[in-house]
Amino acid sequence: MTLPQFSRSLTGLLGNASSIIHQRTFSVSAVAAAIQKMTRVRVVDNTSLGNTPYHRPPRVIHVYTKNGVGKVGDRVLLAIKGQKKKALIVGHKMPGERMNPRFDSNNVVLIEDNGNPTGTRIKVPIPTHLRKMEGDYSKVLAIASTFV
Amino acid sequence: MSILNRFKPLVSPVCKRVLVEQTGVFRRVCSVPKAECHSLCLSRYYRADLASCQVSTYYLDSKRWYSELHSESSNSKKRSGVNEEETTEKESDVSTHLNQRSSETFTLDVLVSLLHQENAVDICVIKVPEQIKYTEYFVVVSGVSPRHLRAMALYAIKVYKFLKTNHDPHVKIEGKDAEDWMCIDFGNMVVHFMLPETRELYELEKLWTLRSFDEQLKSIPAEMLPEDFIYDREVTKD
Repeated sequence: MTLPQFSRSLTGLLGNASSIIHQRTFSVSAVAAAIQKMTRVRVVDNTSLGNTPYHRPPRVIHVYTKNGVGKVGDRVLLAIKGQKKKALIVGHKMPGERMNPRFDSNNVVLIEDNGNPTGTRIKVPIPTHLRKMEGDYSKVLAIASTFV
Repeated sequence: MSILNRFKPLVSPVCKRVLVEQTGVFRRVCSVPKAECHSLCLSRYYRADLASCQVSTYYLDSKRWYSELHSESSNSKKRSGVNEEETTEKESDVSTHLNQRSSETFTLDVLVSLLHQENAVDICVIKVPEQIKYTEYFVVVSGVSPRHLRAMALYAIKVYKFLKTNHDPHVKIEGKDAEDWMCIDFGNMVVHFMLPETRELYELEKLWTLRSFDEQLKSIPAEMLPEDFIYDREVTKD
């Protein structure tokens, strides 16, 4: 299943492995911008909406900032399981400031309209520079289990 | 005369309480400058006199009052983080603070005493261990109704604004439009005002005392990567 794709990363280890590299059937581009419309995100809290499998990954359909780019701490509108839900960005793949953490996935926490988090626990590490930012982040920090 | 003024507001928070022991204690203290029934009127004037210098003395004496109340009150539950005993810390704090009369900062004691005064339900103060670089004290408070929560939060802000210096940052209420959960982040303390139902739902005390041993955390299933997940070399621009 994943073995053909695995071999691509193990190229350095295998000697004459070039013959058994399989091509992907689709292209995957390197991540450039932070979170914008149509980005697929990863929901990191323990909500049923974020954790039950669906045939489509949750996508951002609107970013609530002046430009359409979302960074850590911005609110976005997601389309999850056929419904719209607001969410808060807690980490993205794009490098930000020098001494701030960069994540390997675009992490998002589901939020209600009044700002209360929908889930009750967050397992994934949350950046601590959220605390200094302008906005209502204390609630998300209160349900986080680890900080980065 | 100045001594009289100092001890007048001391009795005011006490008169709101039903506990007879404390009033006995403070009547004994107040009998020294011979303050009389003036104290009863002052309990109502507390809000109006917020800007007056009586507040500063209130804070100082309320700390001593609070530490005596603490041993008797069943409302404030205190749990320790990693081998930290807060009660012993408190009592030593009180004696040093009595000497530093000029430093009127908004400390944990002030916060808890004002929450007591506001008839907060179930005050829970958790000392956060040093490893978690978030805050020092995590306070969770319940209220009777959304209006009660809002009143408590606004009052806390009011007292903070009065007691802060020009160097301290301003503090805002987070979650103002959510009626069941409001937070205030004073640098070394974070206070959460919640309704009892919300408190049951989130169980913040459990999370912050048990940390990684929390039940809700454990019940989150471990993440399984999907079958068609592609491991790729990360190409990042730097």
